[in-house]
Amino acid sequence: MANGCIELSNVTVRRSGRTILNIEKLSVAAGQFVNLVGTNGAGKTTLLCVCCGLIKANTGIVKLGGVDLASLGGWQKVALRKHIGYVPQSAEYNAELPFTVREVVAMGRTSAKPLCSPIGREDYEIVDSWLESLGLADRRNQTFRSLSGGEQQKTLIARAMTQQPAVLMLDEPGANLDFNWKHKIMTIVEDLHRQTLITVLMVSHDADLLPVDAGRTILLHDGQILADGGIRDVFESDAFEKAYGYKFKVLDFEGRKYVLSRGR
Amino acid sequence: MDPFFYLVIVAGAIGGASTGLLGVYIVGMRIPFIGTCISHAAMAGTIFASLVGLNPTAGAVAASVLTSISLAANRPHKSRLDTNVGLAILFSLMLGLTFLGMGLIQDSRSEILGLLWGSILFVQRDSVVLIALMGILLVIFTVVFNKELKLLMFSRSIAAATGMHEGLVYCVFLVVCGLILAVNLKVIGGLMIFSLITNPAAAAYQVCRGHKSVVITSTLLGALSAVVGFLFSFYLGLPTGACIVIVSTMAFGIAALYRRLSGSAD
Repeated sequence: MANGCIELSNVTVRRSGRTILNIEKLSVAAGQFVNLVGTNGAGKTTLLCVCCGLIKANTGIVKLGGVDLASLGGWQKVALRKHIGYVPQSAEYNAELPFTVREVVAMGRTSAKPLCSPIGREDYEIVDSWLESLGLADRRNQTFRSLSGGEQQKTLIARAMTQQPAVLMLDEPGANLDFNWKHKIMTIVEDLHRQTLITVLMVSHDADLLPVDAGRTILLHDGQILADGGIRDVFESDAFEKAYGYKFKVLDFEGRKYVLSRGR
Repeated sequence: MDPFFYLVIVAGAIGGASTGLLGVYIVGMRIPFIGTCISHAAMAGTIFASLVGLNPTAGAVAASVLTSISLAANRPHKSRLDTNVGLAILFSLMLGLTFLGMGLIQDSRSEILGLLWGSILFVQRDSVVLIALMGILLVIFTVVFNKELKLLMFSRSIAAATGMHEGLVYCVFLVVCGLILAVNLKVIGGLMIFSLITNPAAAAYQVCRGHKSVVITSTLLGALSAVVGFLFSFYLGLPTGACIVIVSTMAFGIAALYRRLSGSAD
């Protein structure tokens, strides 16, 4: 995969006779930071799964790095996914196991290496450099389960980056975190984007803290793109009010953008 | 002690170590009931193989592997069927088939029921060689697929989304489970396998930090539970299977207490 561009055209996903995703056209350029917002059940996670080929679209074309996913066989699709760094929601990983922080971060090398090939010294150099970059070096031998929610999220981001991906997908990285940690995680993602210029696709429920770097916000509602543009264009749009049932106002404060609800 | 009992101790140690090691992954993947499910599949396989005049061990292996593959074929995110619910459904089918077979076989019901608790005291040298070979296979498998198994335990979603052959590795793992459990069934027994899979691994997860220490602790605890349980039963004249199960449960209890009192592992 040469780059992290994503293209979808006329994509529909149906489940139990209901259309849960209906995207006429979506094009994300390599290196872009896209903030994906929408209410519960809007289709945000489904869209992420479609982009990485985990959910097959009923109709339409999905391209990742310029490659049509439908043209790939099972093994080729798996190989293409090696370029995706994925930070899941907390329900999707087993935080009770006594893996150390370094072990969890080293899991990022699993798909970067061929099947059955062990993780070697050069892999651990990459692991340690990301532990260092994200300020986790002093926690490396601590268990993942002993970390706070914010530190766990940071570890999962380090795990995803260790994979050296072309696309970083984050599924609600700020969920269940206090404002302080949400702020830290957002800053980490923004810094990573600036340093590595990888494509970032971030699903977010949080309207109270927005990524400064997100050149683009996409509002999904009932599986469709209702608005696509800059932060202010989307959050202050009629479409956003229609989706959430509230009016919103974007405020600038010390270089960050925050969204306030203005009531119905 | 009669030198014959040395063979029993060796069989117990190898079986306990194998199930202790396997348990690390089974408990880590939160599918402990796979022990009971596959044991009953093996029992059903043994019965039906006997009914049609085939080798009972081959029947046990075939039924266990088929059950493992059926379980691997279930993709929870697509089928909306949780792995443990799938296990419960397969278990009920295997239980039904076991009792159906027992109804048909008539004469040697006690032998079949013996599979539930195993017959470690009547172990043959051939059986010990077989479970030792399977134990070696398991060690090789866990070493070769070490990084993949760790990610599978941690998150199947991450494994699938980031380009690991998650379905393939999971299927191979379940087949290896089926093989290990099928060959250990006659010696250790279906109910004891369940305890030796769950308790040593659960104990190790309580007190260990890092995957390697969990693997070593659980394997040793599995072997120790089997050996200490046998020695208790030998010197106190108590049922062997029951002693092994109780010792392994006590090992978990001590580990849980230790963690609580010392706050270790983290």
